[in-house]
Amino acid sequence: MPEPTDIRSGLVCVGLNYKTTPVEVRERLAFPEAQVPAAVEQVRGLPGFEESVVLSTCNRVELYATHALPSGKDGHAALRQYLIERFELQPEHAEALVLYNLDSAEAARHLFRVVSGLDSMVLGETEIFGQVKAAYKVALDTGTTSRSLNKLFQQAFTVGKKVRNETTIQRGSTSVGSVAVDLAEKVHDLKECRVMLVGAGEMSRTCAQSLLSRGAKSIIVSNRSYDKAVELATEMKGRAMKFDEWEHSLHEVDVIISSTSAPHFVIKPEQIDQVMRKRRWEPLLIIDIAVPRDVDPAVNNIEGVYLYDIDALQAIADEGRRERLRQLASCERIIEEQLEKYGFLKSPGSGGLKLA
Amino acid sequence: MPASQQLLLAATLIFVSALVQALLALKAGAWKQARAQFFLMALGFALQTGFIFLRGEEVRQCPIKSLPDILVFIAWSIVLLYFLVGPAFRLSLLGVFTSPLVTLMQVMAFLNGFAPYKPKGPINALVELHIALALISYAAFALACITGVMYLVQERMLKRHQIGGLFYQLPPIQGLAHAIQRLVRLGLLLLSIALGISFALHLPMTKTGHVVFAWIVWGLYAVISLLMWKHFTSPRKTAWLAVIGFILPFISLWIVTHA
Repeated sequence: MPEPTDIRSGLVCVGLNYKTTPVEVRERLAFPEAQVPAAVEQVRGLPGFEESVVLSTCNRVELYATHALPSGKDGHAALRQYLIERFELQPEHAEALVLYNLDSAEAARHLFRVVSGLDSMVLGETEIFGQVKAAYKVALDTGTTSRSLNKLFQQAFTVGKKVRNETTIQRGSTSVGSVAVDLAEKVHDLKECRVMLVGAGEMSRTCAQSLLSRGAKSIIVSNRSYDKAVELATEMKGRAMKFDEWEHSLHEVDVIISSTSAPHFVIKPEQIDQVMRKRRWEPLLIIDIAVPRDVDPAVNNIEGVYLYDIDALQAIADEGRRERLRQLASCERIIEEQLEKYGFLKSPGSGGLKLA
Repeated sequence: MPASQQLLLAATLIFVSALVQALLALKAGAWKQARAQFFLMALGFALQTGFIFLRGEEVRQCPIKSLPDILVFIAWSIVLLYFLVGPAFRLSLLGVFTSPLVTLMQVMAFLNGFAPYKPKGPINALVELHIALALISYAAFALACITGVMYLVQERMLKRHQIGGLFYQLPPIQGLAHAIQRLVRLGLLLLSIALGISFALHLPMTKTGHVVFAWIVWGLYAVISLLMWKHFTSPRKTAWLAVIGFILPFISLWIVTHA
């Protein structure tokens, strides 16, 4: 049995992501989920290759492999050629294909950054951790990993957890939709939360979907065009309501998302005052996404009412992004420490591999 | 310093360190429903229990007959209720808000000094139970007060759009409002039982200062509970009532033990 490849010298990663490649190219090079097991076997079957993992998401396609070829460049060339042949790229497309070619410590660093969400479009997002785990599991089940990649991916998952536990890279909301969810969660138990959409704009649809995906109990959609309300309510498994009726149901909901195109305030303090009495002061979150605004700002002065307009939501999302950026240096430091701990980087003066 | 007070001093230092640890974790944004916080609170509770046991040996009765002892007993009850209701109400930060009050009460106990005293007569289990239940009810009111502070902090951040570190750690304000109501009801129930026992003991109300004050406290919290139950006031006002209301039982302790 041949000696396993030294992970520090025989590891390569070839890939593309949302930074290097536009979506129209990425979608052509994406591996459908069902074809990933065959793909990992094909990569491992390339001459000189020993192990492989294929990571294919909407934002990236990456091939991780170990090989016994004379140099990393040979490994990169073989994987590039594999992608060109696998997706039958025309010569002009093949020539224009931009891939990152990483080996040894660079490849490990990249994997650690990916797992930690540092290479994601939304910095610090957690979904990628599960996606990498799933990709690794497919390779493990298919039998295309061995000691080297098993160890590398286990190390990557440990590093990912460490980064998330020791920093706040995943905390805070970075989009208007996630801010709406965070706010709703701090006002109510989301599982008991009833939502009303007044107006069916794209942004309010996004907020409502975010709330529903996190477990909101029910949704009512009211829109000037009743057909559109029905369409959206059906899509979200909610209830449509005629536009002249929504005011009568305000006291029944816990979150109001308003986005009408009215040129004046449609939700006024005197209305909400009555609503709060009927609600017996159960808290009410109002998200006003409309421009011009739908909700009179004086509504926020009523006890138990929490009003957020689009600027307030945007400011919170901006702060969330800034907070994550502030955490970036700490995350990178943890990754460098772990690379050194796992032997990818040698201490200065030891004469070994050292990547800046 | 007697062994009992050494234990209490250690407990106080543990509660201070729990607070410092929590504040540092919150400042660094690394608060994680803190196991460390839970451990420190548990350690502090064990040391408090040790103090009460040794102090009971010293005074040869349940140590709840002097102001310092009462303060420590209430502090102990607060931590006990924190362990009982904190997880049930998902009040993950309750410990952070509890430890300063517990520390304050124990420091006040130290400042008053632990003078020795002897049983005035044969120990009556019902009298001891009456006093212990009344003090545990005060602890429930103290926790309602702490939860009220948490509500007001979270409410203020939501109103002013101050979405920061503490905001993400505090529970939903609706949950906090419900927790205040339950704690007030729990306190009221315990105090009602304690006062019921006083009837069984035939304690003359007019000649027993602490029973009179207990009735005044009972009346106050009965009104607060009624206001909550019938939704006569908003949760914000209810939270203020729970916070300010605790001043009365706190003061009554001092008056009763010095009367």
